[in-house]
Amino acid sequence: MGIGISCLITLALLLFPLFVKEEYYLNLIFLVSLYSILSHSWNVFGGLCGQISLGHAAFFGVGALSCRYAWIAGAPLPAALLMGGIGSVLVTCLVGIPTLKLRSHYFAIGTLAMAMIALITVQNQLPGVNFLPPELMAGYSVISRYYICVGVGLAAILFVGALKHSKIGLAMISIREDEDAAEAIGINIFRYKVVAMAISAFLAGLAGGLFAIYYVSFYRYIPFELTWSFDPLLITFIGGSGTVLGPVLGSLCYVILRETFALSMGQLSVIIFGAVFILIVLFFPKGLSGLIDKLHAGGPDSETEKQ
Amino acid sequence: MRNAIDVKGCFLLFLFACLCLTPCFAAGASPEFIPVGAVVPLTGRMAAGGKDVKAGYELAVHHINADGGIFVKELNKKLPLKLIILDDESDPVKTASRLEKLYSVDKVLVYLGGFSSELNVAGMSIAEKNKTPWLGVTIAVESALKRGFKYIFIPFGMSGAQTKAFFDLLDSIPKEQRPKKIANFELQADWGLECGEHVAKMAKERGYELMVEKYAAGTKDFSSMILAAKAAQAEALFSVPTPPQSIGLIKQMKELDYAPKVTLFVRGADFWTYWQALGADANYVMSDGNWDEKMPYPGNERLVKDYLAKFPEVKSIGMPVGPSYASVQILAKAIEKAGSLDREKIRNALVTTDMVTVKGPVKFRQDGPAEVIFGLRQWQNGKQQIVWPPDIATSKVLLAPPWSKR
Repeated sequence: MGIGISCLITLALLLFPLFVKEEYYLNLIFLVSLYSILSHSWNVFGGLCGQISLGHAAFFGVGALSCRYAWIAGAPLPAALLMGGIGSVLVTCLVGIPTLKLRSHYFAIGTLAMAMIALITVQNQLPGVNFLPPELMAGYSVISRYYICVGVGLAAILFVGALKHSKIGLAMISIREDEDAAEAIGINIFRYKVVAMAISAFLAGLAGGLFAIYYVSFYRYIPFELTWSFDPLLITFIGGSGTVLGPVLGSLCYVILRETFALSMGQLSVIIFGAVFILIVLFFPKGLSGLIDKLHAGGPDSETEKQ
Repeated sequence: MRNAIDVKGCFLLFLFACLCLTPCFAAGASPEFIPVGAVVPLTGRMAAGGKDVKAGYELAVHHINADGGIFVKELNKKLPLKLIILDDESDPVKTASRLEKLYSVDKVLVYLGGFSSELNVAGMSIAEKNKTPWLGVTIAVESALKRGFKYIFIPFGMSGAQTKAFFDLLDSIPKEQRPKKIANFELQADWGLECGEHVAKMAKERGYELMVEKYAAGTKDFSSMILAAKAAQAEALFSVPTPPQSIGLIKQMKELDYAPKVTLFVRGADFWTYWQALGADANYVMSDGNWDEKMPYPGNERLVKDYLAKFPEVKSIGMPVGPSYASVQILAKAIEKAGSLDREKIRNALVTTDMVTVKGPVKFRQDGPAEVIFGLRQWQNGKQQIVWPPDIATSKVLLAPPWSKR
């Protein structure tokens, strides 16, 4: 039953561009997928492993620039995208591992400092715009990017779903719940934190890569803006931290609601969206997935109740 | 089992997104208006400038429609402009996404630009991809025009025009009073670096000594740069700081008793808020003169009168209002010249633009920035006076005395 529905939905996504010619709608699904991947990245590190990171802008930015330069140098799109993920893992592990020595709020502050240093460094060392060369511009197609992004988005869902219920995922959850207790039962805390950081950086790098192959031109510091740290956090909390469903639900809510509000209410939209976010946090502290989970399964054995 | 339900839920959400986004509109029949779209920052950190841009567009469209609209030869009738403005919340990601909406859903024929280089760069590449003419102002980085873009038109004084006006003004000062040494406080961003190249080239060509002090985008403390310029006895200062930086610079220059005879802060000293923040200390500082209320060009008086009637509380009209208004004038003329609502024909008509707008004559070149007048304005007792070029100047440039003599 589950496989049947999954196939049907995958088919619907595959056929979507054949029936909907307006690139705007493809663009919105692209953004939902991009934010979903980035939020999955934050969720692995923050939601599963309990490490509240504010440094995802650096992960995202490094992935974006690695992918962009690889693509412009002649790498095919999928290979360039992979380079984005790998580049992000390498740089993040090199710079980020020392921050893992910090705990709790200090870790969040440390990662925020890392993101700010990355932003300032790129602003000063790589000023200016990265334009797509004319030959790549000529072959630019939104549909191919749509398929790549949706494909990576679906793969990220499956990957995080599998990770959460794997031995590694359980170790991460135990670290989130109580580091000392996890250590006492023989879990190598530092190793699993590094693994979580690497997975998180890889996913964020992929999301950055998708940004880089989608936007024709952008200032090089744009993918390092701190909003790429705060947005996935916001999305994950809207959707439900620590769940597989949360980042997807949060991204849908974030992109579609914001777009709808912005187009229909003009400048009021910012206040309305802020109010909606506050209401969600106040009344559904486990996010929208917690609400759906309760409505769907009922009772205390639902997934988010177990978190 | 729970994992399977969770993953299934995610897929269902994707389906929901597909269904939500399915369009449900029909194609239009005979056109009743000319759709033009702009994505402008109306909220967020660039909202102040974005609102000026929006006001300029709206006023120009109002005037054109009040005069009967634009004659389209192909349809043998006059059509009004329909302006669709969306907010990008000062976020370039949203600029791109909403420009796609304007193109694919609202079917706009031409894009008008937003505010700031950061947002406009995101916008112009979408226009180029969609092969839709883009007319934008408040972008000063010329590198965008060196990419071979075919659909981008910028009727705005850019880095080359800004530095040229600065040197032309210096050259016009009597020799005995003319500064001999220039300090360039160079912002380490593309615009600052581009200006730096022009300043270095022109200083060499025109026989000025030059010293360069570099600063990063977020700098707040300029004391070491100011002391270096003071020690080098630089009598003219050029920079492109942000408004808070330009306020900080003047305060610190006063504290450190550095008073160059000529100071130009493009962008940083443009708005009324500059005078509000500094008061008389803002005197003698020059700012961007892409447009001014007092410019004598046809239509400018009507623009100013109607703007002030709409916003009576405004003490000084923001500089972006005029160039934005001029963009719509240029567009209207191009559509009339094209005689068609075909994007390609409008683009070809735009290339041949040679007209006088509210901000002066505008002529586009194939290989670089537009030929426009870049004026310089100077703060003189709470008012911005045009001090360059001489034929439209409302006052002579005043050389700044030492702080102790003000």
